[in-house]
Amino acid sequence: MAVESGKPLRGGLAFVKETMLSLRKEPPPPPQPAMGFFTDTSLCIGCKACEIACKQWNQLPATQPFWSGTSYDNTQQLGATTWRHVQFIEQIGRGQPERSAPYKPALPLLDDQSLEAKNALPETAPGTALPFFNSDRWLMHSDVCKHCANAPCHEACPTGAIIRTEFDTVYVQQDICNGCGYCIVACPFGVIARDDQGDHHAHKCTLCYDRLKGGIEPACAKACPTDSILFGEVAQLKAHAQERVGLLHQRGVDEARLYGADDTILDGGLNSFFLLLDEPEVYNLPQNPPRPSNHVAPASFWTIVAAAILGLMGILFFRE
Amino acid sequence: MQKIHLPNAVQPLIQPVRDIVSRTPGSESLLERVAVLTTGYRPDPERELQESTYYDYPVLKQPFWRWEIIWYFFFGGLAAGSYVIATIATLFGSEEDRVVARTGYYLSLLALLPCPPLLIKDLGRPERFLNMLRMFKVKSPMSMGVWGLLGFSFFSGTTALIQAAKDGLLGRWWGTRLLAALPQGLIALPGSAFGVFLGGYTGVLLTATSVPLWSRSKLLGGIFVSSAFSTSTALISGVLRIAGAPNHVLHKLENMEWMAMLIELSGLLMFLRNSGRAARPLVGTAPGEHGRTFWPFMIGGGLVLPWLLQTFGLFEHRQSRHTSRGVLVSLLVLIGGYFLRRTMIEAGHTSSRDARTTLWNARRPH
Repeated sequence: MAVESGKPLRGGLAFVKETMLSLRKEPPPPPQPAMGFFTDTSLCIGCKACEIACKQWNQLPATQPFWSGTSYDNTQQLGATTWRHVQFIEQIGRGQPERSAPYKPALPLLDDQSLEAKNALPETAPGTALPFFNSDRWLMHSDVCKHCANAPCHEACPTGAIIRTEFDTVYVQQDICNGCGYCIVACPFGVIARDDQGDHHAHKCTLCYDRLKGGIEPACAKACPTDSILFGEVAQLKAHAQERVGLLHQRGVDEARLYGADDTILDGGLNSFFLLLDEPEVYNLPQNPPRPSNHVAPASFWTIVAAAILGLMGILFFRE
Repeated sequence: MQKIHLPNAVQPLIQPVRDIVSRTPGSESLLERVAVLTTGYRPDPERELQESTYYDYPVLKQPFWRWEIIWYFFFGGLAAGSYVIATIATLFGSEEDRVVARTGYYLSLLALLPCPPLLIKDLGRPERFLNMLRMFKVKSPMSMGVWGLLGFSFFSGTTALIQAAKDGLLGRWWGTRLLAALPQGLIALPGSAFGVFLGGYTGVLLTATSVPLWSRSKLLGGIFVSSAFSTSTALISGVLRIAGAPNHVLHKLENMEWMAMLIELSGLLMFLRNSGRAARPLVGTAPGEHGRTFWPFMIGGGLVLPWLLQTFGLFEHRQSRHTSRGVLVSLLVLIGGYFLRRTMIEAGHTSSRDARTTLWNARRPH
């Protein structure tokens, strides 16, 4: 806003008017069905198309090139300018549970030759066996904001910058956020982050709110070549996820499980949930994180108890 | 690991003691033993390595809170505690106790003055601090804290003005006469409620996060409010002792200080026991852990030693004056109160980086 010189009064009035305008509460847009992601790690091939599509659409700068030295994952974590992040979990020589022990085909015809073959062929070096016959595996997982039904960042935000949109997603209004950093310690998944190289606001996945407004799916889901990232109405996605996990169990993938599809996590589940092939901890996901806002009541109670004791003792000491 | 920047007055104080601690043979193992005893958790690296994580990359994002917040917690506690003590002295004390009230009201406003600038400086976008007033959110201790601080500032300013008018610091005209006629004690009553809030909400604010050290036990608010009482009684009694206040007034304050330290110490011990493994960054001596500052400055020098000195003092004859000892106790308690906030914040940074403990903390049934 430019204040015209020579007309300070009018400029001042315009400033007051503009300030008051920003305080006006706009009527909310009509509610839509809740939208979310179902990220099926059993289909992920680790191509990172989602990471790139997200960066391109949302015009996020690339992170400084960095060699993590732990795996092909050099992104390492979600951040202020990384809203999709593909993990590479290498499980080499892991303890194999008995149920899914390497499948040995019964081929009696080959029994006689097997001894000869053993002598003729050199021992297979460890780690070179075909993936079908060994227990080594490579899990990939495209991590993203969980858009929790009870989002701790949303509950913590003191400015109201973090809101629930009409699509029931969690969104940070960049023109309101003042970078207090409370959402960052509230998030139990380490998703939301402050951009200290840039504008010092909190940033995270918007579930492509701008694309949703235009009726198209988020960039990562659009780019995913294996449909590991599915976008849709949360209720439908959850039904689909149940079907998918049933199918995998039927085919012997007993370790498949859903994360955040039921209501246990944070008292209401996640609108962006996952199908995992191992314990959540393997994917750095907390199994059942406490909901920070649930701590307010007990912590306040103990504060009041301590203050009451101290106040009463003070009164006693001063009365004597 | 990032080193936390702090105003440089404190660093030269810490380093010699840390050096002494690390050079004294056996001190490390002693601190370790105390850490295991108080938390009830013995680190077991072999078992912890069995727990699954993703290359030990942190599960949580690190807090941004640094020296601004540490000093805000400290000054906020002093402002709140001084105010409440002054109110108690006004409403329940004798005529001689008025000196406590007067000092308390002035010190409360003085300690409050640096708080808003510290908080605003801490923001990513300080010029947007007014956005905090868009919301009144009961679920968010940060939002409630802003309103609480605002309310307390009003009361602290008003009572200090009344006090100044009564003391004739503002001259003698109709305005000061009007101010002096206002019922100070009555105004201070709701002000004290705000004061208790300001002293304790900072602990609740830390508890309502996902950082294991801050959130595992729910006692941080109680500890901070006790520390607000102990540090502000220490401040008022120290100032009054130097100014030469009557002995039995000081005696009342010291009784209160003694009690506050006792409650703070037992609260801290319960906190450590409840937190267990999550308290390691606070009490341990491994790299990144803050036991080497926490034990000598907070528990040892800031609570146990002054409490023992105070206990001896309370058994002695009431009329005997021990100015230097009283001032020493006050100083130790104030330093301890600062280090309570400092180690708690810094160890919270360490705690948020610890993926295994974060995942362990989330495994319990809720």
